[in-house]
Order: sequence, then C-alpha cells, then structure tokens
Amino acid sequence: MATQIVMDRTGDTRHNFDAKNADALLKAEERFRELTGAGFTAAVRTASGEAVVKRTFDPNAEETLFFPRLVGG
Amino acid sequence: MFRQLLRNAKERLRLFLSERRRRARVIRDSLRRQPGRIEPSSRFVPSFRYGYGESEARGLELLKEWLSPEQFAQYDAKSYFEVTGCHSGKRYRISHGTSMNIYELDGAGRPRVGWCFVPKGYLVAGDVMLAQKIALETDERGALTVANKFFRVSITELAIDFYRGG
Repeated sequence: MATQIVMDRTGDTRHNFDAKNADALLKAEERFRELTGAGFTAAVRTASGEAVVKRTFDPNAEETLFFPRLVGG
Repeated sequence: MFRQLLRNAKERLRLFLSERRRRARVIRDSLRRQPGRIEPSSRFVPSFRYGYGESEARGLELLKEWLSPEQFAQYDAKSYFEVTGCHSGKRYRISHGTSMNIYELDGAGRPRVGWCFVPKGYLVAGDVMLAQKIALETDERGALTVANKFFRVSITELAIDFYRGG
C-alpha cells in the first residue's frame, strides 16, 4: 500500500492507495498534479533515508510527502 | 553631558534587565506548577501525547519518521537538530518552533546568522521543522531566497558588550 501524506493544520492527512490498481494510481497522480500545481513540494525518501524532491509523479514511491510553498517568516 | 547620558542609559538597561529577569522567573515558576507540563526528555516516550494537542503530536510523529537517526537523537536530547545545506555544505541548526528557529552555524558550530522561512498557512511545529529540513537538504538556495535573515541577539551578550564598551 502506497501513501501520500499532505501536511495540513491537523498535522497531516494520509491518502493510502494500492499502487497495483490502475484507477487508484490515476487518482494518486491527479492528486500529485493538483497539489504540486497549487505550490506544494513533493518529497520522497530514498532507501538510505535521504529526502529527494519529486517534480513528476513517481508510481513506485511508497510514501510521498507534500508540504506547502515556503514563504519568508 | 555625553557621560551623563551614558550613565542614564546604563542605569535604564540595568533596570530593564532586572525586570526581565524577574518576569522570566515568574513565568518559569508558573510553568513548573502546571500539572500537565511535559518534560522535554519525555517528548518521544509513547505517553508524550498526554497534554499535547493531537495535531501537534501527529506533526512530531511525522518529523520523527523523517529525521535521520543522528538528527533524531540530537532533537530528542537538545530540542534542535542540524542539517547540511545541499548547495553550500553549510550547517544549519533547526530548533523546535514555527518561526525564527533556523540558525546558520559558523565553523566552530556556533549559531551566527538566523534564517526565517516557513511553509505557507498554519502548520504545527513538527511539520514546519520537517519542511525546513527537506528544503535545506534539497533546495538550499531556493529556501534562502524566500527567507528573511535575522541576527542572533542575546540580551546577555548585549549587556556584556555594553558594559565592556562603557
């Protein structure tokens, strides 16, 4: 089961989906596009634990984290 | 006349510092009296959720999952963790918080320049720190471009400098 984690005011919202299911994968890709289009950054972790930013949807990613656009504080 | 002004300024600073110390003592004492207060050392103990908002706890859980073992140990012990900027190789210290919580470290590991950038919207501390960590580790230049810079001001250091100068 793959997961898309979206940071929000509740901490985060998790969307789990079966990456082997074509419909679920399509829905996940749509969500990826919507979020990144809205300014969210998508990041995944490599096997060594390093964070990598993804500009395009990765159907093989087990866990993708989305955080909102950064602004000066 | 200048000496008189300086003396007055010194006296006002002394009174100001003394008042701040008194207020800090009052706040510290009142926090110690709160029964639901969480000890910093128990942050990652399973029962640490007690007294915390659920959102805050979720944010910290997520942060914990994404920190490296070294960063996690450092955060658990000191309430901050350090990251390396992907472009400059500089070290940054991210302290627990949601703003003005990033310091660029000098060669000796001392905090010098502060950087302030946060994810847009209201997010809990764990989420903010995680976004800051990923940004510095994957797009340092982009993060610093939007960041506001601030300088570390310690009231103690200011007072010492003032008296030395005086």
